[in-house]
Amino acid sequence: MRTGQGIWAVLQRELQLWRSGALPGLAVIGLVVALRLVGGLQMLEWFALDYLLRLRPPEPTDEHILIVGIDEDDIQAVGQYPIPDGELADLIQTLNQSEPAVIGLDIFRDLPQEPGHQQLADLFRTTPNLIGIERIFPRTIAPPPALPTEQVGFADLQSDPDGKLRRNLLGAYDAQEEFSFSLAIRVAGKFLGDRNLPLESGLRDPYALRFGKAELPRIQPNTGGYRNLEKPTDEVDTFINYRSGGHPFEMVSLRAVLAGEVPDELVRDRIVLIGVVAPSVKDIINTVAVSSTAPNPAPGIVYGVEVQAHAISQIVQAALYQRPLLNSWGESWEYLWIAAWGILGISLGRFLGTPWRVVAGLSVSCAVFLGLSYWLLVMGWWVPLVPPLMILLVNGAGITTALFYRYQQDLKQQLRDRQYVIDHTFNAIHNGPLQTLSLLLRKTHSGDLELPQIEARLKDLNQELRAVYELVRQEVLTRDENLHLAEDQAIALSESLDEVLYEVYSYTLKREFDYFKTLKFSVTTFEPLDTTGLTLEHKRNLGRFLEESLCNVGKYAAGATRLDVTCKQEEGWNVIRVMDNGKGFDPTQPTTGGRGTQLAKNLEQQLGGQFRREFVKPKGTLCELKWKAAKIKSHS
Amino acid sequence: MAGLKIVVVDDHELVLDSTVTVLQRQYPDAKISTAQATATALTLIEQTQPDLVVVDLALPEQSGQVSRTETGLQLLRTLLQRFPTLNIVVQSANAKSLVRLKPSINTHEGGFTIAEKSLPLKEMLTKVDWAIQGVVYTPREMRTGLEIKPEWLEVLRLAFQEGLQDKAIAERMRVAERTVRHYWTQVQDALGVYPDAGKNNRIQTEIRAREEGLID
Repeated sequence: MRTGQGIWAVLQRELQLWRSGALPGLAVIGLVVALRLVGGLQMLEWFALDYLLRLRPPEPTDEHILIVGIDEDDIQAVGQYPIPDGELADLIQTLNQSEPAVIGLDIFRDLPQEPGHQQLADLFRTTPNLIGIERIFPRTIAPPPALPTEQVGFADLQSDPDGKLRRNLLGAYDAQEEFSFSLAIRVAGKFLGDRNLPLESGLRDPYALRFGKAELPRIQPNTGGYRNLEKPTDEVDTFINYRSGGHPFEMVSLRAVLAGEVPDELVRDRIVLIGVVAPSVKDIINTVAVSSTAPNPAPGIVYGVEVQAHAISQIVQAALYQRPLLNSWGESWEYLWIAAWGILGISLGRFLGTPWRVVAGLSVSCAVFLGLSYWLLVMGWWVPLVPPLMILLVNGAGITTALFYRYQQDLKQQLRDRQYVIDHTFNAIHNGPLQTLSLLLRKTHSGDLELPQIEARLKDLNQELRAVYELVRQEVLTRDENLHLAEDQAIALSESLDEVLYEVYSYTLKREFDYFKTLKFSVTTFEPLDTTGLTLEHKRNLGRFLEESLCNVGKYAAGATRLDVTCKQEEGWNVIRVMDNGKGFDPTQPTTGGRGTQLAKNLEQQLGGQFRREFVKPKGTLCELKWKAAKIKSHS
Repeated sequence: MAGLKIVVVDDHELVLDSTVTVLQRQYPDAKISTAQATATALTLIEQTQPDLVVVDLALPEQSGQVSRTETGLQLLRTLLQRFPTLNIVVQSANAKSLVRLKPSINTHEGGFTIAEKSLPLKEMLTKVDWAIQGVVYTPREMRTGLEIKPEWLEVLRLAFQEGLQDKAIAERMRVAERTVRHYWTQVQDALGVYPDAGKNNRIQTEIRAREEGLID
């Protein structure tokens, strides 16, 4: 029976714990996952990616790439814009003297820009390591007419809905339904092809592009932090794993090249990219992942040719040196990762207990999580960062709040417990030794007590006082289910209340009180009471109340011959009533039984009942407590 | 007393045997059955519907278990509740523990006597006889002075101050005549008036009631 109750209690407690602790936590996980599924976290995840990319340790300057950035001063020096074909032809010829591996001209030349068009057109036809650009999406821009098709790559860059560039389009069908490659693929393809790493299709993913071991991960509509990314399914693109650091690429100006100021080794065997880096031309894209290295860069803005350099660099570096390409996990792994951190957050509360420990545990978890996410990103894995962080913080905050609340409740409970012990101790002293003492005082005052009698009483008192400790200890500490009227008098509170009360009556009336001796008879009614809602403590206090009321008769009801004790149900009320026909105490005098009255008042309040104590005619005192089972406050 | 049915409940086989022997000698025609635990006792009493039950207080719930006063008290509680007119004799060495059942005993309408185990055999048989007659007897140490119920006081007043007979008293109190007789046995126990050859119970009761100041 007892063990059965124990297991049940443990189960209930655990259920309670989960209901109040884990279910909200699981709900938060569900909510965040749902939010991610509908794309509500996309912007935050993009932001987190850009920010983390920016935080990466700097990489050395890429030794395979040189950017010739035509800046504002170059345009001023040339004296016209667009830069005339002749200038570009001169630039390409000068560069070619240093034998670069490949030259990427990131400047549209669909139309002749005189003077010098013929010169450039001849160069286009005769320079196999020169790659030009076109634009394949509206508004389309044709490639230089003189350039062979395999030396043309598109320069289209597709920003995300927040205007930031994170992806590089590698290949797509153009308006003529021809599959075209981007400038990056053309340039990298030429460069790597010469090094026996030709462009091939992917091994893991047959639709991906691959140079040697470097397979460029394709982006799907739900890859990484993307949610329902709008793009044609036959487009191939990959993340741009921007080269970090303040100086990713060497950049020289047009003037410097034409003046012969650029050292030979900056050009030889390198990929040379020619583009415009003048603010007035606005060949710019937005990103916060890296900064521009062009003169007078504006924050958050990188020039088109720089982006092309990043896109080409990541392919070349991956193929030659296994530099990580940015990739993401499968969706199921991502959600597992989110759920795992969420559950860790819940366990913090379950196993750490105190608020400060949870705060500490939460800080450590967040730090570990952020560190791990950062490390993974450096290794090329873009894992969900915002959803787990959100769950950790929300759950952590929730748990901490709940714990602080519980802590407060515990404090209150402690105070209640202390008050309980104090009350108990006082009850035990008041109903026992104090009664004996007041009796003794009265007797010695009136002088009708012999010394041996006083001694006997004092011995009783001594005994009673010594018993107080044991009584209180038993009732308070051992969760005793008895009401202790004296050391050797314990009444099982599990019995029906009327039996308990009768025993209290029966025992108390045998105590040494003067005015019990004059009693001729007592009229008693002990009938079953409605004990619905009564706790053991209520029962204990009702017993104490009856004891106290009877003691008062013994102490104050001078000359009483009849005692009426009633415990029964009357018109829906549970009634405990003690009435005598003695002289009673003077109502104008403050009562000495303040503690007893307080006990009655407490009971009255706890049970939502009524207490009265008054004179009855022609003489006597009535003491009554009544309550209705339905009105008991469930928690007091 | 032909056809008297008695159930004796005691955990000690020896005591049980001697009680049965004594009872059988006193009531040769009686049909006596026995039980040694409360569970079997309850079943037996339900089946046989006896006129008298003689119970020990210290009893086990199932035979073989430890005997406890608590268990015996619980059996008594059940009997008082379910068989309001059953005649009961409690054999006990410690009548004090019966105090808490006093309210239930006071409303019990059958005979109820307590026979201390130390009593001589003759006394014991008297208590059995009283119980069969419907008399209530509780020993002094179970009492708290003179303790009576409001209803009993009313019976005394109606009988000895207004001179009413039981039938009239029942009408006045709006209870059954049987209940009035039950009040009489209870108040007689409270006043210590028991069947005594050659004495009139009612007159004894009146004398005692006046002595105690229950009636003027």
